[in-house]
Amino acid sequence: MAEVDVRPAQTGDPGPGPSGGGLSLEVANLTKRYGGNTVVDDLSFVARPGRVTGFLGPNGSGKSTTMKVMLDLASAEHGGATIGGQRYRDLPDPAGTVGALLESNAFHPGRSGRDHLRILADAAGTSSDRVDEVLELVHLDDAADRRVGGYSLGMRQRLGFAAALLGDPPVLVLDEPANGLDPQGMHEMRDLLRSRAAHGHTVLVSSHLLAEVELLADDLVVIHRGRLVAHGSLEELQEDATLVRSDSIAELRQVLEASGADVQPDAEGAIVVRGLSIAAIGDQAFAAGIALHELSPHAGSLEARFLRWTSAAATHDRPDDTEVTA
Amino acid sequence: MTWSRLLRAELRKLTTTKMPLAFFAVLVVISGLTATAVIAGTDFDGSKGFISTSADQRSLMAFAANATMGASLFGAMAVAREYSHGTVIPTFLASPRRHRAMLAQYGAVAIVAALLGLLGALLTVAAVALALPTTDYGFLVSAADVSRVCAASAFAGAIGGLLGAGIGAIVRNTGGAVAGAFFTLMVAPPLLVQMANDMGSWVPSTLVNVLSGVEAEVPAADQVGIVAAIAALLAWALVPAAIGLLAVQRRDVA
Repeated sequence: MAEVDVRPAQTGDPGPGPSGGGLSLEVANLTKRYGGNTVVDDLSFVARPGRVTGFLGPNGSGKSTTMKVMLDLASAEHGGATIGGQRYRDLPDPAGTVGALLESNAFHPGRSGRDHLRILADAAGTSSDRVDEVLELVHLDDAADRRVGGYSLGMRQRLGFAAALLGDPPVLVLDEPANGLDPQGMHEMRDLLRSRAAHGHTVLVSSHLLAEVELLADDLVVIHRGRLVAHGSLEELQEDATLVRSDSIAELRQVLEASGADVQPDAEGAIVVRGLSIAAIGDQAFAAGIALHELSPHAGSLEARFLRWTSAAATHDRPDDTEVTA
Repeated sequence: MTWSRLLRAELRKLTTTKMPLAFFAVLVVISGLTATAVIAGTDFDGSKGFISTSADQRSLMAFAANATMGASLFGAMAVAREYSHGTVIPTFLASPRRHRAMLAQYGAVAIVAALLGLLGALLTVAAVALALPTTDYGFLVSAADVSRVCAASAFAGAIGGLLGAGIGAIVRNTGGAVAGAFFTLMVAPPLLVQMANDMGSWVPSTLVNVLSGVEAEVPAADQVGIVAAIAALLAWALVPAAIGLLAVQRRDVA
């Protein structure tokens, strides 16, 4: 692996602005098995600096396992993950390079939130002043000296988030960070993550809260049963369908389906076409002598697309066939 | 630098929960029972023969065997609860070279367990010293022998802590680790002696008595030197610690 500078300038603030020197988080041909069960299957994707990458998949699809392999908490049968070209364990300052939130409950209930962070600061070689800064940042300063056992789920989540930010790292890996947060907390977390990405940091967030991801993410990685089913920018993936209106909708539908397109009726009498480009749809309609009243990119809800990606993958023996890469 | 900051973190872990206080409370109770025994206890013939000589009093003060057992439970709980609470995850994120984190944890457990062993011995010595004026006997143990009893207890504490920590790293479940430590120190030694009688000199309870300078119940133990006893006790602790270290590096963190 090429040597890279893995530690941009560390400050309390995310930094002076987008930079070309951020650290990519790259997963390459990752396969992980538990017993005879393949949990992650030849997974590859890149989370880029300056972007928030949403990592989506149904429960048990391999998201958390992938994150653990990234951070050398689990070993891979094949392939692996690098951060700025280096494995996590080879980073000169791992905790100062990657901030991670993997378990919402990884605390000793009898220890105070402040002591929990002090322990992490000691282990990572981070200044103890930073403990107070991150406690204030996540609004836990008033509860910092209380036992974590008395914290609500949202407070524990914020403590975990504070731990991830402790080293002011240029890369964040967060597993379901919005769990248990109230709307205000979710809004603040979203702003903070967007701010860090805007300053050139790399943010990978797994979540099953699709509406939250839609507001937060620039890029999406969608996996199902450990395999990649969609990967690309949210904007591009949103435009992978076309809305078509015509007075001859039934006839048009037959023509498009004969061409291999996936055609679904829209609630307002139009059809949503996938699997054919806008130009190809127009050409097909012209060839069939069908007049079109509308032919436009269709951006449905993330939930609808997510269900389509994952259900399509589930019905194929080879999910490769369904992979969407924008 | 890495070692010192990891050790500091592990020491802070051990001192920011109530577990050391709970063990301290147990030490206070044990020393209180010892004082009660001195004040109210008698031999079968109704005499106070069990405190009549320097050797008898030293035997009463020798805390090392208790320190080994108590510290092993402390070490087992300290390490295994890292897994049950999930706090091992941030530990290994800060130190992905896991052997470093584990060695720091072993070191911290050994330090705190040694302190608990020393404290247990000091409390017991104090209990005997405070209780003896209620009897016809004075304090007969020399300062050098008191020092030896205390040093042996501290060493036994460190050994027990390390042994328990190793079992905790192997088992990763608090109940299982405590049972494992109990089995290793209380069940396995008599079984070993049954299989090979000569092993009686090399079980932890005998070895710590050698260190404390207390008359051994196993006659052949008199032939075990202090250096050999230290080496044998280290072996009892280092074998599970080494297995735990290897296991932690090979296994995924659940």
